[in-house]
Amino acid sequence: MFNSELIFRNPLEPIGYDETSTILNNGGFGAVLARAGVGKTSLLVQLALSFLTKNRKVLHISLGEPVSKVCLWYKEVFQNLAGPFDEKQAKTTWEAIMPHRFIMTFKVESFSVPILEERLTDLIEQNIFIPQMIIIDGFPFNESMHETFTELKNFAKKHSICIWFAVKTHRHEEPERDYMPAPLNNIDDFFEVVVELQPRGKEIHVKPLKGGLTVSDKPILFMDPSTMLVQH
Amino acid sequence: MTYDINRVRNIGISAHIDAGKTTLTERILFYTKRIHAIHDVKGKDGIGATMDFMELEKERGITITSAATYSEWRGHEINIIDTPGHVDFTIEVERSLRVLDGAILVLCAVGGVQSQSITVDQQMHRYKVPCIAFVNKCDRSGANPFRVVQQLREKLGHNAVAMQMPIGLEAGFDGIIDLVAMKAVYFDGSSGEDIRIEDIPEKYAAEAMEKREELIDAASMFSDELMEAAFEDKVTQEVLASAIRQGSLERKLTPVFIGSAYKNKGVQPLLDAVSYYLPCPSDIENYALDMDNEEKLVPLVSDPEKFLVALAFKLEDGKYGQLTYIRVYQGSMMKASEMINVRTGKKVKVGRLVRMHANQMEEMKEIRAGYIGAIFGIDCISGDTFVSGNTMLTMTSMYVPEPVISLAIFPKDTKAEINMSKALGRFAKEDPTFKTYVSEETGDTIISGMGELHLEVYVERMRREYSAEVETGTPRVAYRETITKKAEFNYTHKKQTGGAGQFGRIAGYIEPSMDEEFEFENKITGGKIPTQYIPACEKGFKGSMAKGPKMEFPVTGIRVVINDGASHSVDSSEMAFTTAAKGAFKEAYLRARPAIMEPVMKVVAETPVEFQGAVIGLLSQRRGVIAGAQDEGVACVIEADVPLADMFGFSTVLRSATQGKAQFTMEFNAYKKVPAAIAENLAKKS
Repeated sequence: MFNSELIFRNPLEPIGYDETSTILNNGGFGAVLARAGVGKTSLLVQLALSFLTKNRKVLHISLGEPVSKVCLWYKEVFQNLAGPFDEKQAKTTWEAIMPHRFIMTFKVESFSVPILEERLTDLIEQNIFIPQMIIIDGFPFNESMHETFTELKNFAKKHSICIWFAVKTHRHEEPERDYMPAPLNNIDDFFEVVVELQPRGKEIHVKPLKGGLTVSDKPILFMDPSTMLVQH
Repeated sequence: MTYDINRVRNIGISAHIDAGKTTLTERILFYTKRIHAIHDVKGKDGIGATMDFMELEKERGITITSAATYSEWRGHEINIIDTPGHVDFTIEVERSLRVLDGAILVLCAVGGVQSQSITVDQQMHRYKVPCIAFVNKCDRSGANPFRVVQQLREKLGHNAVAMQMPIGLEAGFDGIIDLVAMKAVYFDGSSGEDIRIEDIPEKYAAEAMEKREELIDAASMFSDELMEAAFEDKVTQEVLASAIRQGSLERKLTPVFIGSAYKNKGVQPLLDAVSYYLPCPSDIENYALDMDNEEKLVPLVSDPEKFLVALAFKLEDGKYGQLTYIRVYQGSMMKASEMINVRTGKKVKVGRLVRMHANQMEEMKEIRAGYIGAIFGIDCISGDTFVSGNTMLTMTSMYVPEPVISLAIFPKDTKAEINMSKALGRFAKEDPTFKTYVSEETGDTIISGMGELHLEVYVERMRREYSAEVETGTPRVAYRETITKKAEFNYTHKKQTGGAGQFGRIAGYIEPSMDEEFEFENKITGGKIPTQYIPACEKGFKGSMAKGPKMEFPVTGIRVVINDGASHSVDSSEMAFTTAAKGAFKEAYLRARPAIMEPVMKVVAETPVEFQGAVIGLLSQRRGVIAGAQDEGVACVIEADVPLADMFGFSTVLRSATQGKAQFTMEFNAYKKVPAAIAENLAKKS
């Protein structure tokens, strides 16, 4: 247990996700949807940092990116978040949270859920790293994922872990129903929370599609395109 | 023997530890009548195998240095280098495979493909050395040569084919079936010297046919003639052998032979295989780089009449001077001739030329293209190229891996120090993976090598060969000190007791600096400290950083600001203010909550995925902060930040935990504050 000198707020709190909780319950799935380059990874890293500063452990899984690149994401986002605070405090916080973050990267073609489960089980059973949140960035969503997600859901519930996914959408893919973007067709039931990043001119809106506040048509939450940080 | 390069074979024998390389070489020397009695590696007669001539090798039963010899077998001249199996002595394998044309990869019929088998296979691959495999120890309980063939395919990616089948296994291992000639071979006589050829026993006939078909299938990829003959079911021994040879020379086929060197079975057919399936020097394309022409590749020809190009690949410093092992690639090296060392540009005269047989020598008049020999009296280093005439061709040297372990070494007395120094100089010259230096920070003499055994052997050799009694210990960590909060100072240095005095007062504060090792800022106003003394103040503060007041480690990360002071018109001087600054530093330092910092290394460990958890565990136990694990399919790469103080001995435990299959690198990352418990321990030790 450690006490982080700085605590970062939950970036999705303004759109109805409870600040005091961790948004997702154990076994819960969340998704951040957007087209390429719009800010999925940045938002997930902000979620992770918020989680880390609340004494929790995060496993960040990236498909197709090396460990060093993911580390850079965390460093950059942290520096942006910690900017207003005392440098020494920020440094202490960074050193305190690092042991609680673990990054695993895979090649897209050699990744599968059984392999992921094998690696995770190895870490958990040997008491090396027991995550409370997992981020999966670059997961190849396709049409026949029901069984895969069932397995993953069971795994998450068994180990009391919540999982956030980055989901890439494409301009040409139209949502089929309930305004749920195409990659989540037929599997949206697995997700308790779905958030979409929508570029609108010079702004990026953060729109809840499932869970949180869905009532208002007016966007409440934005991402600053220059820092990729969430702002009201 | 008359010179016929097509009948020359330069081969290395490489394998994991204890696969039977030296025992095999001993049998080869016996059957080729090079020696007249067989001695075991760690035999009761205490004599030891021919190729393990060092006392340490005989005592420990391991090969430490590679040894060269030559023999004749059925009209072929076979030059052999027996190499060590321990990864600690990997440079011996590296340098041998660099200069050889072919190799025998020895595998244990029980252990199969082991960690060093993988390493030597990579080394053969690096130098594109064709090889044949020999599955040894078929007499041992648990022996399964076909399992080893399968492992060659799965773990090393070889297109391995069995050339023989065993007749019986384990204690019942009686002979072999040659799948090319389709005959059974038995080894009679007290030392297996009498070969008896018979028909294949009926109970093995069906399996032998099946295995032969597999062999023909594999070999037919390299010969249209064999493919046609196979379709017509008219495969002859010659056509099949020729196709196998082609595949072997192209390194696309690995013929696998079986036997038990210790039980004197299977060696003679292996020698036949060396003669037939491994290349002669002219089968291999060798290149040099033309240094006068932008390093253009120049093909070399194994013609003794052309100009000389030779590579020095090993040195030994002995009582008669330096003995340099040479491989001649082109031309001839003649006694009393002149040649040029391309690296130094100097002309050297060729003195004594010898050919090696373990530790014995035979005088030679020349070493021709395609041969390996040794030369006395030339000062050079491993990797030097020698040429004749004006050509500036250079050959690429061998790959030298970086050391993985370091020790501090302390001589017991002055005499030991002198002798140790001589010994270290010699060993470092002979062995590029053995490095030695004096740490600037701690003053310790550090030796680095490829493993604990590597360093242990050199320490023992220092003792035996140089009478240098030394002790070893873990190298001292270069700690640092810093401060963690601001503290003020107001210090007066005063010596005014009559005569020339000293006076200087400095006031200000010190605080932690994130970015710089040392920062100095002058905020004096009104000339309270005259301008000419400001540099002296800075010098005093900076000088104090060399040894921290807390534990005498160098200090880093301090910002000094002076904002007040006083001087005396007569007694103030540069020296006075330098001394005042030192006093001010000490005064403030201990109130600035000093902390000890330790070097933290970025460690990158590569391991097969099945050991990922074990490796992460090892790093975590060493206070490592794991950055992440990159999955690369069959292997994974783990990155961590680990304090240097906890990295000593890591290479040994990593090897143990991963069956020698993992490796790691480390480089300095940053200085970080040591935990309180460790700081306390350090304080107690000091």
